[in-house]
Amino acid sequence: MKWRKWNNIIHRDLGYLCFGLTIIYVVSGVAVNHIQDWNPTYRIERQSSQVNLSGVDSANNNALALTVLDQLGETAPLKSIFRVDDTTLKIFVVDNNITVTINDGLVFQEKSNKRAILYQANFLHLNHAKKWWTWFADLYALALGLLAMTGLFVLRGKKGITGRGMWLTGTGLLIPLFFLWLYS
Amino acid sequence: MKRTLLFFLLFILAVPAAHATAKTYGKGVHVQEKTAVSAILDNPDTYIGKTVRVEGIILEVCAKRGCWVYVAGDRQGEKIQVKVTDGEIVFPMSAAGRMAVVEGIVEELKLSKKEMTQYLQHLAEEKGQPFDPSTVKDERMIRLIGLGAEITE
Repeated sequence: MKWRKWNNIIHRDLGYLCFGLTIIYVVSGVAVNHIQDWNPTYRIERQSSQVNLSGVDSANNNALALTVLDQLGETAPLKSIFRVDDTTLKIFVVDNNITVTINDGLVFQEKSNKRAILYQANFLHLNHAKKWWTWFADLYALALGLLAMTGLFVLRGKKGITGRGMWLTGTGLLIPLFFLWLYS
Repeated sequence: MKRTLLFFLLFILAVPAAHATAKTYGKGVHVQEKTAVSAILDNPDTYIGKTVRVEGIILEVCAKRGCWVYVAGDRQGEKIQVKVTDGEIVFPMSAAGRMAVVEGIVEELKLSKKEMTQYLQHLAEEKGQPFDPSTVKDERMIRLIGLGAEITE
């Protein structure tokens, strides 16, 4: 039948078109699913250490910051320095937020680096881009729906939707319903 | 042809440079009058439910979801949390230490002392920072529901 031929062409070509983004969404989907256990977007490294601030004027934020950065060996560009209160200074350099307790020289560093590939995959998958990407992602979702629909009718006969396909499709629909019942 | 290409190249380079000063998040900032964080924290009942504009350095960013930031107040030691709906606005880690102008609705997070302690402990754990429950004194948490922001790049 002619409709089946077109069905299969649409299914095949949409499959090719959607491959790249599907893989991106697979990678990001698994990563974000486990967000409770890890940070899927940034690699965060936290370190505590101590610096020697003796001889540095505790009221001079710039001098304090320079001393701390020097002793930590931190050379990344400085973004800003902020005096939180009498005893706490925050130094922000690119990819490193440093908190200093001035009284005792205790330093807490929070270093962050974007995870390669995952950062970009999450950016697209979680639609951080907004704007035009929203419409493209909608189009992709529609294409996936069409891919699923046309997939039902690719084969005829025992392995098609009237045979094996019916049971597998039914099972696929029952699985989410089972979990909805389980967690209700 | 070469001149056209050169002009095109200069245009491509100039457009981002011209807009590199501040990046807009969410709906941007439309309120013109600045409200001091100290004013909100001193008289929260006056501001609850109102849309305000606050300005300050971003001290902390939610590392996992980018769904909140703490903006430094105008008075030493004070800060205010700006919470945004997950996914609607996503603050990057690179926003920490940058100057921000934020528009948001003042909200009171009503929690019991136990709930507040748990919430602050959760935030500290997320940041990998030590947390002392005895520091939780005020059960009243005043924050902003962020609608938009402009963050200096």
